[in-house]
Amino acid sequence: MADAPTRPSPPARTDALTLTPALRVVGQPVVRHDARDKVAAATAYAADWAMPGMLHAAVLRSPHAAARIVKLDTARAAAMPGVAAVLTAKDVPRNTLATDVPGQTTAVGPLRATLHVLAEGRVRHQGEPIALVAAETLEGARAAAEAIEVEYEREPGVFTPEAALAAGAPRVHDTGNLLAHWHVARGDVTGGFARAAVVVEGQYETQFVDAAYLEPESGVAWIDSDGVITIRLSTQVIEHFRDVAEVLDVPQNRVRVIGTYLGGGFGGKEDVTVEVYLGLLALRTGRPVKMVWTRQESLLSRAKRHPYRMRYRTGALASGEIVAQQVELLADAGAYAYLSALVLLYSTVTAAGPYRIPAVEVDARVAYTNNPPTSAMRGFGAMQTVFGYESQMDRVARALGLDPVTVREVNALRRGDVLPVGQVIETHAAVAELARRAWDELGPPTPPRAPHIKVGRGLSCNFQPYGRIVWLHDWSSAWVGFEMDASLVVRSGVPDVGGGQASSLCQIAAEVLGVPLQSVSIHISDSALTPLAGTTTASRQLYMSGNAVLKTARELRAQILSVAAPMLGADAGDLAMAGGAVHGPGGRTLPLPEVLRQCARAGVPRSHLAVYHAPAGEPVDLARGSGKVFPDYTFGAHAAEVEVDTETGAVRVLKYAAAHDVGRAINPQSVEGQIQGGAVQGLGYALMEEVILEDGINLTTSFASYLIPSAADVPDITPIVAESGEGLGPFNARGIGEPPIGPPAAAIANAIEDACGARVSRLPITAERVARALGLVV
Amino acid sequence: MIVSFVLNGRARDVDVLPSETFLDVLRDRLGIFDAKEGCDEGVCGACTVLLDGRPVSSCLVLAPSVRGHRVTTVRGLERGAGLHPLQDAFVKHGAVQCGFCTPGMLLTALAFLERHPAPTRADIRTALEGNLCRCTGYAKIVDAVEAYARGDSNGG
Amino acid sequence: MHPFDYEAPATLEDALELLAEHRDDAKLLAGGQSLVPILNYRLAKPRVVVDINDLPLAAIRVADGHLSLGALVRYHHLEESADIARHCPLLKEAAALIGNVRVRTLGTVGGSLAHADPAAELPLVLIALDARVNVRSAREHRTLTARDFFAGYLTTALAPDELITDIEVPVLGDAGYAVEEFARRAGDFALVAALAVVRVSARGRIETARLAFGGVGSTPLRVGAAEDVLVGHEPSEERLARAATVAAAALEPQDDAFASAAYRRLLAQVLSRRALARAVARALEVA
Repeated sequence: MADAPTRPSPPARTDALTLTPALRVVGQPVVRHDARDKVAAATAYAADWAMPGMLHAAVLRSPHAAARIVKLDTARAAAMPGVAAVLTAKDVPRNTLATDVPGQTTAVGPLRATLHVLAEGRVRHQGEPIALVAAETLEGARAAAEAIEVEYEREPGVFTPEAALAAGAPRVHDTGNLLAHWHVARGDVTGGFARAAVVVEGQYETQFVDAAYLEPESGVAWIDSDGVITIRLSTQVIEHFRDVAEVLDVPQNRVRVIGTYLGGGFGGKEDVTVEVYLGLLALRTGRPVKMVWTRQESLLSRAKRHPYRMRYRTGALASGEIVAQQVELLADAGAYAYLSALVLLYSTVTAAGPYRIPAVEVDARVAYTNNPPTSAMRGFGAMQTVFGYESQMDRVARALGLDPVTVREVNALRRGDVLPVGQVIETHAAVAELARRAWDELGPPTPPRAPHIKVGRGLSCNFQPYGRIVWLHDWSSAWVGFEMDASLVVRSGVPDVGGGQASSLCQIAAEVLGVPLQSVSIHISDSALTPLAGTTTASRQLYMSGNAVLKTARELRAQILSVAAPMLGADAGDLAMAGGAVHGPGGRTLPLPEVLRQCARAGVPRSHLAVYHAPAGEPVDLARGSGKVFPDYTFGAHAAEVEVDTETGAVRVLKYAAAHDVGRAINPQSVEGQIQGGAVQGLGYALMEEVILEDGINLTTSFASYLIPSAADVPDITPIVAESGEGLGPFNARGIGEPPIGPPAAAIANAIEDACGARVSRLPITAERVARALGLVV
Repeated sequence: MIVSFVLNGRARDVDVLPSETFLDVLRDRLGIFDAKEGCDEGVCGACTVLLDGRPVSSCLVLAPSVRGHRVTTVRGLERGAGLHPLQDAFVKHGAVQCGFCTPGMLLTALAFLERHPAPTRADIRTALEGNLCRCTGYAKIVDAVEAYARGDSNGG
Repeated sequence: MHPFDYEAPATLEDALELLAEHRDDAKLLAGGQSLVPILNYRLAKPRVVVDINDLPLAAIRVADGHLSLGALVRYHHLEESADIARHCPLLKEAAALIGNVRVRTLGTVGGSLAHADPAAELPLVLIALDARVNVRSAREHRTLTARDFFAGYLTTALAPDELITDIEVPVLGDAGYAVEEFARRAGDFALVAALAVVRVSARGRIETARLAFGGVGSTPLRVGAAEDVLVGHEPSEERLARAATVAAAALEPQDDAFASAAYRRLLAQVLSRRALARAVARALEVA
């Protein structure tokens, strides 16, 4: 790597566009409480846990992508020394989970997506779990898993959505291979194309990728002294205790999930991973059981990001105004549905980009194949479409001889505009100004360092929903309470994936109740002991749990002040809480412990539990384009400068700026970290990450073959944190977990075309693909 | 078999199997979770410990191989009751998100700075290229290491 | 991993006796960077692991125009040794490209050769320099040329009862050298590597040339036809480019999941041209 300039990472450009009273804790780059523990390696992750008499578990998985199991004999394995249990499908009380796939159109009909805990007679993807083993040692469990006798009869499989949807294709499920189909049409696309000065067509293909968190799936389960099956694991969703209860056929109040601080999630720990297996084995053996997936196992069998084939047709006037956009999306659900229908919905809603386009048609389908299942991953369908729509915008700009920023400015959504699905943009949409800022941040062009090097720059804008679909009636609850000495406790079910989820809640509570941040302690992510807060997904936690804590803290504040008011001889409305005290008019002050003692005497609780309900809506009929789908969106723009080695096709990112309007940055340092981390994950997606499958067989089941960016592969990401002051979260914040991962792929593709004229429309943009686009290889 | 080595300055004698890795010994026999299991093949760096001051993948060191050697893990960095200034710098600069890569980053950075006390940002990135991070995008980790190397007071 | 018997012989003789006894049932443990991953993945289940780290095989010596490197010399020694920097700095440049810093702490010269990855740096250096590999069994000593040593993909000429004791690498003298490597990500294995060693006479003509490639065949290999294009001529840009073209045409790389044969061929051409240019520049500096 050539030397990068020696300077500290550029300070984020942050501004507050609205006037608000000065905040004391919120808005400060406070040190996160979990950071201290983590640098000292004091945080106990899910695998950092051992219990007396603990067994170790292993999973036997199918080596084939499509097969019948004609023989399954566990006798030899079960007889091996130290083996405590060997389970197959027949040992699972309720082996099949079925969920309704939401909002199906009449074209597909009602659909139940089935999932088996352990394979029953048939395996549909490589890595599908067939049997579980628990043994005294991990080596014993793995050896026993190998000793299970399985005979397979291979069956024909399908390995692309196109093949799956062709007539006569083998059926992955009896319901047929088309899993979901969404269609949106608004305005007159034919008329639009007719009056367009240019029509740009493009096909874009994205790949399977893995979440590749550093911490593999892990957990320990045991049966507590009161008979509660307790599962301590790394998960983004503690509510899966209900799935465990259903599978085990036990009452829901007999299963407890304790979520640990995750070593990364990114959507890969949103579905059930180890919890059901652990529950089964703990229940069967009566002993604690530990399961930690190997990296190979995780790369092999964990759900991936949906790959897409996207066909775009974009018509624009000479001014750059887009007048028609026609999009066809085809995604691969892999062997099981998981969250595919919802992912497709996100893609459908965002397919046209953050632009005001009068005529839009989107036709989106997702099909089953015998590839690994695909499910949630950071960006959730709204991420892949950015590659399509931003590659198109760049090509339209080129065709018209306009610069990239101008084309965005001409078309960018503004408040009051209507999306193709009929949703009105109700908050500030910052696309245009963010595009300008990100672009300008690149500064003067870097001169090429050698004759065979070309330098170019590219822009990419996006919008990512935050908060769940409005007709899912999302809610989050929180408990906030004072101890007698005025130290504060927050309890929230929120799982912390490393983005400072827990820390932000402490900031909010401290801000509202006027106490020092250090006096706040928080308990999170325990389905039995913390109020449920919903999933850490969908960029929803700051919005939902932040609002839940905000609401709870405000109501607690009112309770406290109702007691303090007569003590100070004032109206509650004239009181303030600050510095760990209550302040009244005329400089009168009461230390909090005094007020709290009075609360105790008066029988007024020093704690409060509240629920925040997101504004809900009715399901939208996408075909009629009639309404609000998501609560709101986070808008962003990234700009990249790259160099292309025109002899090898190698691409190096020289400079990178990432701008997002976050409404308000609760913790600016955390927001920068999310932007930088998301952008780098997006660069991995753009340049090097790919799950390589051959007829459903995964060739990249190791970190040596599945490549994620190292520190030497990416430059400093300059985060630009814009604060419009408009967002639905606490203190007008917007979600920032997912948005930064969307723009990089198109920014890089656009920069490469700018540098050397080669357009790569397939991800990842490897050096070989660039070389081919340059005509260096035939 | 009994293996004798020095761990964070303290002599240890541990009964091990030859078919265990040193990572297994730390975590399962000694209950020390400073090193993490990320990939079992020495690529990710989450299992990094220092062996006689040099970084190694403890997932690739068989248990008997540490006999007679000096091993350092993150808890060996602490100064009295407080954090090592590099740990402080990581905290202050927001270089920690999920934290899983953090112990490996700290040890690798320190071993590197022993030999290269005045690195450029590019040098730091190259030095850390064997420690994968999925959360931070690396910039703030580089900030922290750079600030510490500069000797910024209190970690910068 | 599957359990095994563990032996840690204190002398070479003891080690060789163990190999004679156990042969294919035994695996040697040196740096562990190739062996332990396959043990972790349960891909290999040896009955015996023979830990040779106590053997006195880590010396670096210079004698008679050769550098002798013991099999247990670690990659980081190659980077840090003053003798290597003076007598064969090519080894230093190649070693810095190997894996990551942790691999370089423990990985050994002998381990790299025994693993025989066609994309690995040290086998490439040995092929380019015509190094010699000394192996021993309880029966005999043998010396093999590098070309004979690397028999095929991940395959060497080592008999099951043999181990590598040391290698002999010619001193570079005033030759210029360069390694050019293309990897998909920092620290990743090379897709293609090209190594050039060139000696330029006082009259400005190439006296000797070695051009070797990794990642384009089942073993690292030299392309004599390309070397012939260079010897006796001035090292002009056109001459180097022609050698690179001849080299690329002579190679028969394979398609695989990570790169096509055609792309590897392109890389071979570009990297060899660049390696030759740098090697020539170094040779002219020294002259």
